[in-house]
Formats: sequence, C-alpha cells, structure tokens
Amino acid sequence: MESMAEKENLSPAKKEIVGAVMVVGAGISGMQASLDIADSGFKVYLMEEDSTIGGIMAQLDKTFPTNDCSTCMISPKLIEVDSNPNIEIITRSRVESVSGKPGNFKVKVKKRARYIDLDKCTGCGECAKVCPVDVPSDFDADMGSRKAIYRHFPQAIPAEFAIDKADRAPCTLACPAGINVQGYLAMIKVGKYKEAVEIIMREMPLPGVLGRVCIHPCEKVCRRAEVDSAVSIRDLKRFAADQVDLASLPVPAIAWKDEKVAIIGSGPSGLAAGYFLGLAGYRSTIFEALPVAGGMLAVGIPEYRLPETVLQKEIENITRFGVTIKTNAPIGADHTIEDLLNDGFSAVYIAVGAQKGVDLRIPGEKAFKNVQHGVQWLRDVKLKQAGRLDGKKVAVIGGGNSALDSARTAMRLGAGQVDILYRRTREEMPADPDEIKDAIEEGIHIHFLVSPIEITGSDNTADGVMCIKNKLGAPDASGRRRPIPVEGSEFKVTADLILPNIGQQLDNNFTGTSPINFSRRGFIAVNASTLETSVKGVFAGGDAVVGPASVIEAIEQGKRAIQSILAYMAHVPLPSEDVTDFKPDPGANYRPIDPDKAHLERAQVPMADAGQRATDFREAASAFSPEAAQKEAARCLDCGICCECLQCVDACKADAICHDDADRWEEISVGSMILAPGGKPFDANLKPEYGHGRYPNVLTSIEYERVISAAGPFQGHIARISDQREPKKMAWIQCVGSRDAASGCDYCSYVCCMYATKQAIISREHNPSIRPTIFYIDMRAMGKGFDRYYERAKDQGGVRYVRSMISRVVENPQTHDLTINYVDEVDQIQSEEFDMVILSVGLRPHPEAGKLAQRLGIDVNRFGFCQTPPLDTIATSREGIFVSGVFQSPKDIPDTVIQSSGAAAAATGIISGARGTLESVSHYPVEKDIMGESPRIGVFVCHCGINIAAVVDVKSVSQYASTLPDVVYADDFLFTCSTDTQTEIKEIIGRENLNRVVIASCSPRTHEPLFQDTMQKAGLNKYLFEMANIRDQDSWVHASDKAGATEKAKDLVRMSVARSRELQPLYEVSMTITQKGLVIGGGLAGLTAALALAEQGYTTTLVEKSAVLGGNALTLYYTEDGAHPADYVKDLIQRVKAHPLTTVYTEAEVVDYAGVVGNFNCKILTTESKIEIACGAIIIATGAQEYKPDGWLYGEDSRILTQKELEQKLFDRDATVKNAGTTVMIQCVGSRDEKRPYCSRVCCTAAVKNSLKIKESNPNADVYVLYRDIRTFSFKELAYKEARKTGVKFIRFDPDKPPVVGRENDRLTVTVFDCNLRMDITFDVDLVVLSAAIVPHPGSRKVASVFKLPLDQDGFFMESHLKLKPLDFSVAGIFLCGLAHGPKFADEAIAQAKGAVSRACTVLSKAERDVGGAVAVINNQQCVFCLTCVRTCPFGVPKPDDTQGVIFIDPAACQGCGNCASACPRSAITVGHHTNDQYLAKIEALY
Amino acid sequence: MKISYYPGCSLEGTASDYEASIRSVCAALDIDLVELPDWSCCGATAAHSINRKAAIELAGRNVAIAEKQALDMMVPCPLCFNRLKTAEKVLTGPTKDKYRYVLSGDKIKIIDIVNFLSREKILHQIHSKLVTPLAPLKAVCYYGCQSSRPPEITGAKDYENPMGMDRILKTLGASPIQWSFKTDCCGASHILPRQDVAFTMIEKLYKGAIEAKADCFVVSCQMCQLNLDAYQARINKEMGTDYYLPVLYITELIGMAIGQAEYTNWFGRHFVDPSRMLTDCGLA
Repeated sequence: MESMAEKENLSPAKKEIVGAVMVVGAGISGMQASLDIADSGFKVYLMEEDSTIGGIMAQLDKTFPTNDCSTCMISPKLIEVDSNPNIEIITRSRVESVSGKPGNFKVKVKKRARYIDLDKCTGCGECAKVCPVDVPSDFDADMGSRKAIYRHFPQAIPAEFAIDKADRAPCTLACPAGINVQGYLAMIKVGKYKEAVEIIMREMPLPGVLGRVCIHPCEKVCRRAEVDSAVSIRDLKRFAADQVDLASLPVPAIAWKDEKVAIIGSGPSGLAAGYFLGLAGYRSTIFEALPVAGGMLAVGIPEYRLPETVLQKEIENITRFGVTIKTNAPIGADHTIEDLLNDGFSAVYIAVGAQKGVDLRIPGEKAFKNVQHGVQWLRDVKLKQAGRLDGKKVAVIGGGNSALDSARTAMRLGAGQVDILYRRTREEMPADPDEIKDAIEEGIHIHFLVSPIEITGSDNTADGVMCIKNKLGAPDASGRRRPIPVEGSEFKVTADLILPNIGQQLDNNFTGTSPINFSRRGFIAVNASTLETSVKGVFAGGDAVVGPASVIEAIEQGKRAIQSILAYMAHVPLPSEDVTDFKPDPGANYRPIDPDKAHLERAQVPMADAGQRATDFREAASAFSPEAAQKEAARCLDCGICCECLQCVDACKADAICHDDADRWEEISVGSMILAPGGKPFDANLKPEYGHGRYPNVLTSIEYERVISAAGPFQGHIARISDQREPKKMAWIQCVGSRDAASGCDYCSYVCCMYATKQAIISREHNPSIRPTIFYIDMRAMGKGFDRYYERAKDQGGVRYVRSMISRVVENPQTHDLTINYVDEVDQIQSEEFDMVILSVGLRPHPEAGKLAQRLGIDVNRFGFCQTPPLDTIATSREGIFVSGVFQSPKDIPDTVIQSSGAAAAATGIISGARGTLESVSHYPVEKDIMGESPRIGVFVCHCGINIAAVVDVKSVSQYASTLPDVVYADDFLFTCSTDTQTEIKEIIGRENLNRVVIASCSPRTHEPLFQDTMQKAGLNKYLFEMANIRDQDSWVHASDKAGATEKAKDLVRMSVARSRELQPLYEVSMTITQKGLVIGGGLAGLTAALALAEQGYTTTLVEKSAVLGGNALTLYYTEDGAHPADYVKDLIQRVKAHPLTTVYTEAEVVDYAGVVGNFNCKILTTESKIEIACGAIIIATGAQEYKPDGWLYGEDSRILTQKELEQKLFDRDATVKNAGTTVMIQCVGSRDEKRPYCSRVCCTAAVKNSLKIKESNPNADVYVLYRDIRTFSFKELAYKEARKTGVKFIRFDPDKPPVVGRENDRLTVTVFDCNLRMDITFDVDLVVLSAAIVPHPGSRKVASVFKLPLDQDGFFMESHLKLKPLDFSVAGIFLCGLAHGPKFADEAIAQAKGAVSRACTVLSKAERDVGGAVAVINNQQCVFCLTCVRTCPFGVPKPDDTQGVIFIDPAACQGCGNCASACPRSAITVGHHTNDQYLAKIEALY
Repeated sequence: MKISYYPGCSLEGTASDYEASIRSVCAALDIDLVELPDWSCCGATAAHSINRKAAIELAGRNVAIAEKQALDMMVPCPLCFNRLKTAEKVLTGPTKDKYRYVLSGDKIKIIDIVNFLSREKILHQIHSKLVTPLAPLKAVCYYGCQSSRPPEITGAKDYENPMGMDRILKTLGASPIQWSFKTDCCGASHILPRQDVAFTMIEKLYKGAIEAKADCFVVSCQMCQLNLDAYQARINKEMGTDYYLPVLYITELIGMAIGQAEYTNWFGRHFVDPSRMLTDCGLA
C-alpha cells in the first residue's frame, strides 16, 4: 500500500525489514507502546531490567486528578500485555549493544538468570514462605522487607517468582570444604537445626567435630567484621550439630555398585573419603593401625577440646554410608597396598596423616627417656599409656596448636608448672589466639623469644632445657621475622618432662614394598590436582601429602581424592582443575552493607572458669543457648542474598526452581526500537537539610505512596515511623531535587505539585483529623483537570497551601517531631511543628537509562534525559530508535501514554512494509458441534500447590463433583494452570468426550483466557467454560475454617456445574475492515496525523473547515527551545498534499456519519459537492483558539495586545514593540477564573519566550510579568530562569486583587498589588500584553454533535479515560488529538497526533475482525421502543430505527457490558454467555 | 606520614589546649607535623573586613610557602582554613594577576583538620591504637560554619550535614548523636558587641544538645569552643538555666581514647570542667 516514492526507496532493502520492535523498559510507557505495536501487526520484544513489569505506576497508591486506584488501573493493563500473543516479555534483561540500521537492527541482549522455570512456576508463593533470607523490599521503597525469592506484588506480571543472588558468600568461598556457611546460618536463625546440619553434611560428615576444632577460615573473611565483628560461625556449627542426632537423619537411597575402595587411615581425610564414596554408591573399608578410629581426631586432640563421644557418634554415622572400619589393621610390610589391590579393592586412598614428631636437632634430645615428642605423648595419654604428672614440671617446645594441646593436657594431668618455650613473639605464634589466651588463663607460662640449645640431665633423665634468648631480625620466607640468638643470654629451664612440639612428619611404615614416591619434604608425592600417587590406582591426601594442616583441609583432600577415584573407576579422565584454588574475589558483588547497621556484639560461648577447667578433661567451652544461637546467626549479613539452603526447592510442588540457572546472551533482530527506561525519584539524602534518612518521620513521596497503599508494608495505615502514632499535622515540601541548581536539577519535575495535592487529599480520606500543609514555590496544575483538582483540595479538601521555600527541617530527637521555619505571605518568620514531613522528590532519569544511552550512542541532555530535537519529542539522535516517557522529560501518566502511542506510531511507521510478517496467529482445530448432545461435564479441581489444598479438602470436593448430575469426569490437580496439566485437560476433553468444562481454582480475571485457549485447542467452543473461584473467595478468606471452606467449595462447584449445563456455544463472525482513515481538522495535529497515517500505508482523507491548512501553528513563529512551528507546518502542508495516499478537502465539513469501528461512512459537505467517505478509523483534531479578552481595555487601545498578537508584531519587527520602553504582561487572562476554571498551560511559557525576545531586540526595555503561579514545567523552567537572569521582572498578584489597566489621555498604566511588598504599584507602560486563555474551537461542538462525542465542562473533547486512554473516545474507532483535547504546546500536539495514529492503526492494521459472541441481542417482539437502552449504553451502541420502530444493536460495536440488558424494562435484551437461565440455574443450585 | 601544619594565632594563645592535643595525637598516630616555616596571619577578621586585597595576600603568602614546601597543609582553625582556601581560589582564579603571590593551585591540598583525621586510613590507625574505648560517651558533634561553608570555597560536599567528627567519634567507640544543629551559628564575634544575640544563639545549641540527650559537645573550632564553653555559667545565670555541657575538642577525645595521659591537662583549661561528666560516664 505504500506510495510509489516509498516503494522505490524501500524496495532494495524491503526484504530485510524486520516486522518487530524492541521496547526497552516496561513501565506504563513501554507497556502502552507495546500494546499499540502488537495490535498493529508487529512482534514486540518488551525488555525489562526488573523481574516484573509495571514500573513506578505499579508502586503508586492513587492517581491524580481522578483519585483512581493505580493498581486497579494498571493490573488489567499488565494482564493485557501478558496475554498478548505478539508481546514477548523479557524480564531481568539488558540491551548490551545495537548494530545494523533502521529497519534491521541486531540487538545484543543479556538475560540475567531468574533461577525459576517460568513454564513451571505457578506463582503460588510457597517458596517465599520458607525462604530464610530477608532483604529490604525495593518495591516498598525499602520500608518493608521481602525474601530472596520474591514477587514484587500479588498482581505482578510475570506472576512467576524470581531469586536474587549476589556472588557466593566469602565464608563459603573461604571454606576449604566449600560448606554453604550462609545457608546453615540462615537455617539456625530460623530454628531449623536439622536442615542446618543437612546443609553441612552435603560437604562434610563431621559437623560436631569441626564445630569444635575447625580453624574457621570463614570467620576471617566474614564481612560482618566491617560492621562490628565476625559471626561466631564455628560455635554455631557446634550448636547445630549438638541439636541433631545424626542417627535420626535418613540415609539417602543409595544404589550400591560392586567396586570397593580401600582407605588407609581413619582420620578426617579417610573418614570424609569413605563418606563421599558411600554417597556415590561405593563401599569402602578403612584400615586403621591404632586400636581406635579417628586418627588425630581421636589421639591428637585432647578430650577437653573434642569429647570422644562426639567423635565416635559421628564416625558411627559414617559407617551407615557403606564404610567398614578395621582397627588394629596396619598396612605395611605384612599387609601391603598391593595385597589390597589384589583383594578386590579397585582403588586405594592413603590418608595416614603425619604422625611422627619432628626432631629439635639439639644435643641431648635422644639421650633421655623423659624427652618425648608431643604428638607421641598426647597419643599415649589418649590411649591411657601415659599417667598423671602430679606436681611435676613440664617444658613444651613450640608455638603451634599442638604445643598448646600438650601444655594444657599436662596441666590437666596435675603438672605443678608448665612452660612453653617459643622462639618468636606472641604475634608470630601460629596457634589460635583464643587458645593462647585460654592457656595463659589456665596458668601456663609462655616464654617468648626463646630457643632451646641443649637438653641437659643425667642417668637417662633429663633435668631441663638450656635456652638462649632471641631478638627478631628480618622477615623470612613465611613473612615472619626471623629470630636471631642474643649471644651470652643463655639460661636454663628446669623440667621433669620435656615435650618437643615443633612439627609433624610422615611415618612411612605403610609403604611396604610399594614403589610410592616421596617429596623432598618427606611426604607422599602426588599429582597436585588429582592426588594420584606414583602407583596407578593409589591416591593419597591429607597431612600425609601436604604436611600437618587443619582438619577441614584434610577433609577437602579426602573429597578431592574421591572425585579422582570416581573418575578412575569410571575410566574417564581424572579431573584436572585445581579445586583448592578457592579464593574470594576481593571485588566481589555482594549485598551492600547498610552503613547504619546497628552494632551487635559477637556472642561468646560460655567458658568454664580457668581454675576449674585446668583440673579435668571436661569440655571447656559450653554451647550456645538456642536463643543466643539464633540471635548470633541473625548477625549474618546474607552476603550472597540467596543462601542456597534449598528450602524453596523442597517447598516447590511444581519443581520450578533451578538454582543452577545462568545468565544468557542472545541476539534479537528488530526493525526499530523504543527506549522507555523511565525515571527514578530524586535521592532525598542528597538534600540532608531535610533530614531524610536521619529523621524517621521524614519520608519521600514515593515512600509515602507505599505507606498509604493498602498493599504497602503498613496496609495503608498512616502512622509515624518513629512511634506508630497517627499523625495530625503533616507537611509536604515541594521541589526537593527540582528547580534546584544546587542539586544539579534546575528543571521542574512536572508531577510533584499534583501528587502532593493528591497525597494530602488521600491522607485526609484515610484519617480526617490529619491537617495537611503543602509548602510550595509555584503551584503547577497545568494538566487537564488539574486546576479544578487543586482548587477543590484548597476549598473542600482541607489542604493548606503555603507559598514558601523551606530551607531545612529541625527534629526534636526525643519526640521526633519536626519543626519547619518559613516566611509567610506577609514576610513574617513562622515556626511550626509537624508530626510528619513528606519530601516531594523530583524525577531523575533512571540510572540505567544513562548507561543504556551510552551503550547505544544516544545523546542525553545535561541532566541525563534523552535529547530530542525541537518539535519531535519522540526522536533520539539515532535514526530508527525512538524514546517515550520520563526518559525524555519528566511527565505524568497521561502525557506518558500519549507520547508512548506516538513513539509506537513512529517505530512502526518506518517498518510498515513488514506489517504482519512476524505476527503470531493461533490455529485451532474445527470446533465440535455439540448441538443436541446432553451435557457431559468435566470438573477439574485445583490444589494451587497448597494455596487451596491446605484449607479445602480438594479430594472430597472432586469426589463430590463426580456425584453431580451430568458430570462425567472429576478429578483434582496440583496446578490446573501448569503446562502439563493443560495438556492433560486437553486429552481428557477428547477421551471423555466432554462438552462442558468447569475449573475450580482461582480468578477468571487472570486465568479464564488460558483455560479457554486449552478448550479451543481441544476443539470445544470457548463459551462452554465455567470457573469456580475456590481460592480468592474461599481458601484465602476462610483459612481458619477448613471444614466450612470445603463445604463452600462444594457449593461453588455445584453452582458452576449448574450454570455450565445451561451454557451454549457462541460464534463470532468476521467483519471486513475498511483500511482507510479520516482526519477532521487541518491544523498541526490533523496534518501530522494525516501524514503519519499515510506513511503507515493507509489511504487518508483530511477534512478542514476553513480555506487554509495549518491552523494556529501558522502564526507560531518560534518557541522557547528554538523551534519554528510556522515553518514546520508549511512544510508539513506540502508533504501532506504531495503524499499519494492523502486527499485533502478544505472548506469542508463532516455532516453525518454512520457505522461502527472498522466500517464508518461519513458524509462530507464541501463548497462544491457532497461526498461520502468510507473509513475504518477517524481522528478528531478540530483544534482551539486564543481567547479574545473581554475588558482590560482590550480592543480599545492598540497598545493592548494578546501574546499571539505580540508574537506577530515581534516577528514583523513592528516599531511599536521595538520601541516600547516598558511592557507589562498580565497572566491568566481568561484562564483560572470562574468562567474558565482551567489553566491554559502554554501562556506562562509564551510570556517567558516573548519577554526574552523583547529583551533580545532591546536589552534596555523593561518587561514585567504579572503572574499567579509561573507554570514553566519540565525544561521550560530553564527559559524562566533565563528570563529572570536577563532582567525580566516577575511580580506575583493575588487573584482577588487582579491588575488594573488604566488610561488617562494617552498615558497607559497598569496597577498591581504586589504580594511581597503588600502595596499597590503603578507602572507607566508602553505596551500591555494579555496572556489570553486557549478556548475550544466553536467547530468542536458541531463535530461533537455529529459524532455524538462527549465534551468536558470546558468544551474540550472528553477522552475515554483521563489517565490511561487519553487518545480514545468511548466510541470505538474514533480517536482524539491536538488542542481539541485541551491546551498544549506544538510539540505535544505533534506527539499526540502520532499517538492517535498509533491507536487508529490497531484498528486499520487488520483486514477483518471477529465481532459478536458475548454481546447484547435484542428481541424485536419484546421491544416496545422505550429507548431506555439508548440512554443507558455508555458506548452509544443501540440505535433507534424510526422507520421500522425497532432498536438496532450492532454486534460489531457492542462491548458486552450488559448495562442495556439489566436496564431493559421488558427484558427484551439478552447478553450472550450471561443469560438469565444461566444465572438462575446457578442461584437455584445454591438453595 | 608527613604533613605541613598551619596552627594559626589562636592556637598559640586562647586555644593552646587544642594545639597541645593536636600535637600529642598526631605524634601518637605517626603523623609528622611540619609547622609551616615563617607562617603569618591568615588575614581573618580585621584584614578581610577592611582591605580585601591585603586579606588575600596575607593568606596567599602562607599558601605560597606551603606550595614551596610541597606538602599538603593541615589547618585546625576553621577561620584560617576558610581564608587560606579563599586565597587559593582567588590566586588561581581569573583576577589572580592583581596580586603579588603566584600559586600553581594544584601542587598541594589545604585540608581542614576534621577532614584530615576522618580519612579512612587515619581512622584505621586510630582504631588500632585504641586503649580506652569511649563507649559510654554520648556526644553531639558541633561543626560550626567555617570549615564547610561556603562549599564553593571549602569544597565540602557534606556542608548540610557534615559527618567527619561523627565518624571519628564512632571509631573511638563513643555514640555520636545525630541532631539538627551541627552547622548552626555559635554567635561568633557577636559575643563581644551583641552578647544578647549571641547568648540566644548559644542557648539554642544547649537546648538542642540536651534534647538530643548528649553528655557534651565535640568541636573542632576554637571559636565555637570558646563561645559555648566560656559563657556557659553566664548564660545559666542570666537565663536561669542549669546547663552542664562540657565542650571538648575532637583531638582531646582521640588523645584520651588512645591513651595519651596528658588529656587531663588539656581538660584543665576548660571553663566547663569535664571531669564530672567523665566520672558519670565511668571514663574517669
């Protein structure tokens, strides 16, 4: 359908044009654009950063100026977007780059992992109930909290949940065994100790042991230390382990395999190896040389640190995992490693530890029997082979944990004195600082900077150690300073028992004949990553390989060896990656730490008194109490956000959670793009003088929206944050982060004056005793209906307005009351106290928007908003990429919706040739004819996870349903809406030959279309469907009465079954659409609309009443932002006339019309003839005009002009204007008065721009602007600022004392009462300029009567819905734009005209549409022509046919609302699918 | 670390206690204070209200010496700080040719003492040397105006709600209380010609501190200190009140917390004796 010219332009590339548009940002702007585009025959990719769509509008409570509930308005819109088959919503996504050219862009997109399978999740919310991680609710402006798995609000779309994850917590990364520390702390916090232990046991089988002896590397990296101190992780692990009897935990069902593995050594490494082998299905045998199992855990660590019972219980538990432990079974010369491999073991793991002490290498060391290696001696003590030391003197040499164990054990065996000799200082001591502290408390004497040089004695008995003192020298390889002996400082320490404890080495007795290689340090040589030794099939790990290390490291080695052994046995290559390289990334992306986080001291476990504990081997440290443990665990900062406890996985009945989901990248081809990333409220903390963030009762407006929202964190109860007291006096401070150069925002944010007014009104509706005060600079109520709203708030709403800019808020720290000082209208300083203060924060571009613009190479202005050329508010600096919404400039919802439709028209305009190429069409099988069949009803009862099933006995409901007449099938399902159940329902419909379907589940509002689609797929007419809401109206409201709820569910099902029996199939008929447009009005808006329609490929007729095209724009020569509308419109006229698809009639009027959307027929009267035009959509753009002032001496003196007249004279360089010394402009002439109580929106800016023009041509001229409020919104504020800078003087007047224009002879004066000076001022003036109102065009009234369209109180056309349908009329197919809708600027009219075209395209883009179905049908026999229906129908559908005396209801026009049917006194009208029979059957079934 | 130090005249006279605590604390924190050689008047009060050029040059001379030294200059007196910053701005601005001193402007930084001591690195150092955490102490930080305002001169970002001293106090383990009067006027030199005006302003600060349940004021400006401290008894007498609010320098508290024993000497020079408060808090 394109013109020839376009065809030539496009033809070479036409094939490459992609019939899809990407919309970035899914707030109201992105949603509106997407709907328009999708309904015009294109595919839409709707991208959203967040996990749900809806943007800021979804957070709002009510909207101005209608006080409609925001959620109620946006929810249907969300569903519309969600259910539109041509819109693909891509949440958690980001546009990374764009290449290609207009018509064919390649967009690289990043999709962040959601960790939820969208196909499986049913949104039941069970997961969030078990999630232990609380994070501030961003949706509730961080006031409430939500879980790590979440959905922002119940009506959210997509309804599926999402999980927030940061990087894995540092504690987990620091743990050698990789234990999910954050996870088990979270479980302890909520008292789920069993689950805590299970999380630990996933990585390690010895929770009670490690809870006591772990060196806890996790605590060293704990980020809580940045607030106060690390969480007591180890002690919490012990606490959890102590609460749970491991024997009570179930062993998972293990499929045992035949192969076995031999393990040498039953220390932690060997035990871990056995445990993990068991989990993998392999049995193992541990060979232990000693008579007890446990290795160093049993014979190295003293009883007071690790009670034997704890160890033995955990070892016993490990034996449940296919592990056999043989004690007194050394491997070595007699029983060799080769024997093991020959005895049927497939592999061997050597974990013999480092059992031998390291020699001191000093004289006398080997000469005396009372010199013994500490490790050996500790083993003897444990095996009861060493006795008490009553009164003896003991010297321990060394500074590690083992040295301290020896010393403290000696103390407990009754030693009289214990000395530790250590060669460096306390700071260098490798032992745990807590252990050192405990040892000193117990009376052990540590000699620092001391080295032994000789052991002295006689007769086999040593009597002491000769020592030398050291000083510290330069650091050695370990980074510690090297001890250097001080000559001549020798001294002797006497001792009865000397225990060198300076290290451990491998005892290689186990080797036997095996050709095992050893390292230079004398440990087993292995492949560092696989732990395989030089002998095939033999692996080694733990201390035997790495040297003496910690228990947790030994366990890690065991785990790692098992990975290799499993691969070895499966004959696959061994894992080569070095898994020990776990290092927390210092720049990791963790949950940020709240700087105001309260300090909470780390809980300490109670220790037995030092004097008492040094006397026996009872465990020194006791455990936390449950309260203390939960409190301590709650100190965890949840660094990783999601703690991966996997509770949600257990709770999710739909199996929808996938914790291993990952980010994905994708390339998407589109023809054009719209950027609608939106705005973000100004950060009030950047204006600290108002105390936000410090004073609890100072909130921002967006926070307050959540406070007053019934769905918010306080359920709509208005109370002070500090004390929950209901406030009485509340203050709003305007322009916080707006009109403020200091914060870099010198523009006006447009919405704040009105939302503050709204919040004040709503607050009083919540609580009439609230007294609201709004402190403001200018009250900017320039939108449609705004000024009335403001006046009503002032006069009837009890809202006090005080014109004063507030410099700070002072808080009384005790009462948290807030004091505001202000200058009142008579210049007096006032001080007033308030209970709450709301900061009306301005709008900034969304921070992501700036980055997006940068990635895409889009220009932004100095505030970060998208730069658009004058008069074209939807174009960006990159061709083919358009903009809409707040990213372009701050604006309200209707302006956003208008602009978004405009952007949709622009985005589809350049790809109109590819319309329909990517549209998705549903294909259904031929519907089954059920005529004459008796009802065969299927009832499907939904559990909704446990949403319904936990309250209602669904089994008995479905059982009951099967007993109802005509029910041939009934059953219950976990989720009736899940994809697999849909498939099942489809099969059942076929198998059982059902002809009626009843679903007992949730709300038809959200789910009816889904089920109807399934029915159609099964070949059933979609009207044979009925739904019983047993969730929202039953299980949710009667949760406490299960029996009653079950009975009610049965009642509801019985009623639905009864109605379903009466259901009849309804058929929609296809109607051909006339794909042509008609535009009425040839001004800027009408011309723009006509051209845009033609560019979309539709034949368009433009009808203009006057002889010339162009309207008001012809004399609009310049704007404040540098545009020239007059030139623009002249060019536009040429383009419209030249376009082959347009026909223009001037001096023509539409005199009659008939038909419905898609098929209108309009009669047009021109000067020459009467013609008829058939079209599918009509756009009304009849314009408006400047008010001719009545009074002010206007018309009596040539020096008194209107702004438009002034502009003409300025343009003409008229001498009277050029030479005028003093010009006075008077604002609001004809606006905001009793006759016209609306603001004309453009006059303040007109006055500013014309003042600037006067000053430009004559800098010495005096210009005074007399005003009530200066309403230069958005970036127009910059022009106002410029005017003041240039010296234009603005004087405010009171509407009760308006300026007076006087004339005495030739002397022209203006007298005004200056509100600040409180006195009259009289100017001698050369020129008076009246800023006259914009009034509706007289032709509008006529057009309104022809088309039966409504006008508002002021004579402008009234749109279908002030907020969300600003371009539509309630009569489908007719649209609105330009000044006919209300006063506006030229650029706004252009955007609106394009928006109207976009709306029209949703009609014109389809060749045909389905009509009828559930619509009103009139029975002419019953009708008495009373016309009640004609008056009742809100859409004007019923038409009286005088000739035949009947009413005609066009099924193509009927909306199916049912108003006429209920109003008809003769019951002559029925609405399909809602017949009396059906409802009577339903009611009868109840009683 | 080494830093140039400009004490200013009042620290040599009325505020010698402040000076002593600064030197002691810096020494303990391994901060090497290099007193600006041959420093002269900053041009405050007399000069800048009589002769703008002289005021700029007086201060400019000191900045020029500091640039020669090539060390950042720390200034405790907010008035000096303000004058030196003003000179720096003027002498590197469009009218710089009218003056006799030439500055490069980017060689060194002029730093106010609170900004200096609340640097992350120094806070860590203070923390590591902490001997007596001041846990029981509840104080309001009172910054006055000159160290942060006007922001075009001082370069301060937090001029509406400065936090430097609060952060230092927190590091010392004390509880800084957030209150609304951190930068309200202390009356400054109006204390001499218009005592009635100054007293009203000071009394408002006392009232604010009491409402905030503070034990004392913490200050970094010796003029604020003087006005709040020296006139407390007079104000009590004239207004019939019984305020007891010691006014302590932030450096005095650092010294006390890191174990500088001479803090009692510094406190001894205060008009409002802090010892009763310290005893009540269990810190003495």
